[in-house]
Amino acid sequence: MLVQMLDLLATRRDFFLGLLLEHVQISLVSIAIAIVVGGIAGILISEFQRAAKPTLAVVNFLYTIPSISMLGFLIPFSGVGDATAVIALTIYALLPMVRATHTGITNVEPAILEAARGMGGTRMQTLLRVRLPLALPVIMSGIRNMVVMTIALAGIASFIGAGGLGVAIYRGITTNNAAMTMAGSLLIAVLALVVDFVLGFVEKRMGMRSKAAKRTNCRLAVGALVACGVAAACAVVPGMVAAAPATINVATKPMTEQYIMGNMLKDLIEQDTNLKVKVTQGVGGGTSNIEPAMESGDFDLYPEYTGTGWAMVLKKGGTYSEDEFGQLKAGYRKKGLSWVGMYGFGNTYGIAVRSDVAKRYGIKTYSDLAKVADRLKLGAEADFFERADGYDALCKAYGMRFGSTMQLDIGLKYDALEQGSVDALIIFTTDGKLSHASATVLKDDKGFFPSYECGNVVRTKVLEQHPELRAVLKKLDGTITESDMARMNYQVEEKGKDPEDVAREYLRAKGLLK
Amino acid sequence: MSETTDIAIEYRDVTKAYGEKTVLSHFDLRVQKGEFLTIVGSSGCGKTTALKMVNRLIEPTSGDVLVGGRNVRDVDAIELRRSIGYAIQGSVLFPHMTVEENVSYVPNLLNRRDRARTERAVSKWMDIVGLPQDMLDRYPAELSGGQQQRVGIARALAASPDTLLMDEPFGAVDEITRGQLQTEIARIHRECGITIMFVTHDIGEALRLGTRVLVLDAGRIQQYGTPQEILARPATEFVERLVARQRHACDLSDERLCACEHSGAARAEAALLAQGADKGE
Repeated sequence: MLVQMLDLLATRRDFFLGLLLEHVQISLVSIAIAIVVGGIAGILISEFQRAAKPTLAVVNFLYTIPSISMLGFLIPFSGVGDATAVIALTIYALLPMVRATHTGITNVEPAILEAARGMGGTRMQTLLRVRLPLALPVIMSGIRNMVVMTIALAGIASFIGAGGLGVAIYRGITTNNAAMTMAGSLLIAVLALVVDFVLGFVEKRMGMRSKAAKRTNCRLAVGALVACGVAAACAVVPGMVAAAPATINVATKPMTEQYIMGNMLKDLIEQDTNLKVKVTQGVGGGTSNIEPAMESGDFDLYPEYTGTGWAMVLKKGGTYSEDEFGQLKAGYRKKGLSWVGMYGFGNTYGIAVRSDVAKRYGIKTYSDLAKVADRLKLGAEADFFERADGYDALCKAYGMRFGSTMQLDIGLKYDALEQGSVDALIIFTTDGKLSHASATVLKDDKGFFPSYECGNVVRTKVLEQHPELRAVLKKLDGTITESDMARMNYQVEEKGKDPEDVAREYLRAKGLLK
Repeated sequence: MSETTDIAIEYRDVTKAYGEKTVLSHFDLRVQKGEFLTIVGSSGCGKTTALKMVNRLIEPTSGDVLVGGRNVRDVDAIELRRSIGYAIQGSVLFPHMTVEENVSYVPNLLNRRDRARTERAVSKWMDIVGLPQDMLDRYPAELSGGQQQRVGIARALAASPDTLLMDEPFGAVDEITRGQLQTEIARIHRECGITIMFVTHDIGEALRLGTRVLVLDAGRIQQYGTPQEILARPATEFVERLVARQRHACDLSDERLCACEHSGAARAEAALLAQGADKGE
């Protein structure tokens, strides 16, 4: 495993380096904002003690909100991407910052403050010359804690489409690539340790008060500032100089086949047009987070499934069938979105039962399952329990009740089935692991599940601005069958191939890519 | 008219109460310019309260305090404090500042531009309080208790105030160092001619340093006079008890001390002789 991970780090150095840089950027921006905002808040509540309790209570409350739900709250306001990640990280970083500043300032010895006051210092002078300098060691240790916490927490930012090393972790989990998950985690840990070491060094230097040490500190500070300036200039200037071509922002859901399609879209569009493609892979929450971002213009294009659009986006009841595709398109048109390029495969829901369970109870169809469901545990993704054509409807249609249910991430559910944590799974017909799992896929004898044909949803405005895009997407019409997709998924999930390579190979074999 | 200009500090019917508790009641006092006033009393007698009213760290409940003929209520508190030196117990130097930064704290608040003048003032006051110039770069933690007190005095005087308030400044140093510091502050008072208000709970210190001594008890003036008046004619029973030891102290030379049968030395000598006689038998 370790060898695999080191190998991965070596061969995909640029990929990880890019993620590392993004991670540093997101963390640093959040940390800088938190130091300024939290520091000022800490100073204010120390000067105006009456505000201290309510302020700390609010900051405390924010801190206790689980990070996943915090990101969920923020998406309607700030969309998906780096901005939301920075806002969330800043909110979490506020507590340690405000608290350390407040504690540091209020713990200065009263006698010292009385001396400062008695000698005629104004409130501001006393704060700047006496209280803050004396509080600095406490504030500094608060900053150290906050920085390490922020760097670690930035790992979840990829859940809402932000960059950073969390992308590697999340991709590793969704494509069953443990080495990638480990590499991402390891880099986050190393980054946190290195930054903590640097801050520890700064803290030590600040504690040194001899004249010579102060002179060295000055030089070190100037050197660090210059280095930061140069680094920032290197990062920003090339982007400003190069005339940026129009960019199509592609999003994908956290599913292996979506990663593959994301890469296909990027390769094809960039080959056939002058457009640049930025793919935000594996946006957490899938449709519920991507769709609003499409409407707000953060994303321009993503692969979607017809049945999902019908139920979750248009919020229509009833079992969707492809006869209603015209109605679906019309509903999307009103939102300024178009369906262009149907891949040719459907990723439809199904139920799989672990083989030994199927054998023991003689389960072949959903109706068979309904008779023994109360003795079984069902695993499915979070959105299956929410959607109109999901869990409740299924139970109603077949008159079944499961003994218990478990909410599982898409990348972990086959492991859960294998380990016996669940007995039955809601699966997709293109799941790569399905062909190799010891599971029996049951027959939907009452035709409960709707059709889920895969196609691209594009912002109509983008299609108008770049008509050449329509032609590229049309090329994808009917290029992939269900078994093609399952095989590609298997190659990524089980054979450890990169989605990029699998996508490219397939497009080449089909003659779409040179 | 000339009489009022000679008054450095004046209290007019000042009362201070915290809720039910009155710490100072109907307090009247005039302190002449150039006076070294020591205020003595047991803790809680109101002596620190009286002192802190001069630079408005505490505001009276009723009555007026005048500094240099002006009611302190009419003067900006910040300006007032900068014009009055202030030294408190344990000196409480700023631990993150060097000696130089500590001493130049008030001058820096006053004139930020004129660095040369501040440097001259710092160097002058280091000389006056008897500290070597090479100590300027040190931090308070690197100094002895006595040295810290001297820096504290230099800091209080650095802006050349007319008035210096001292609140038990030597409370935290050992007996020998305290003696040295008392000699120094008496000399500084003689040389600079400033008005000093000095709060202490040690009657010996009060009598030794003060040109005038104020004895306070339970927020009321017991006696106000020269040390000689206090010693020779205690006005109340409280003062009498307070100065009893000092009244009985005598300055006989060593040889004569043993000859005087009332001295502690003679009594001890007699006791030793008696013991020796017991053993001899």
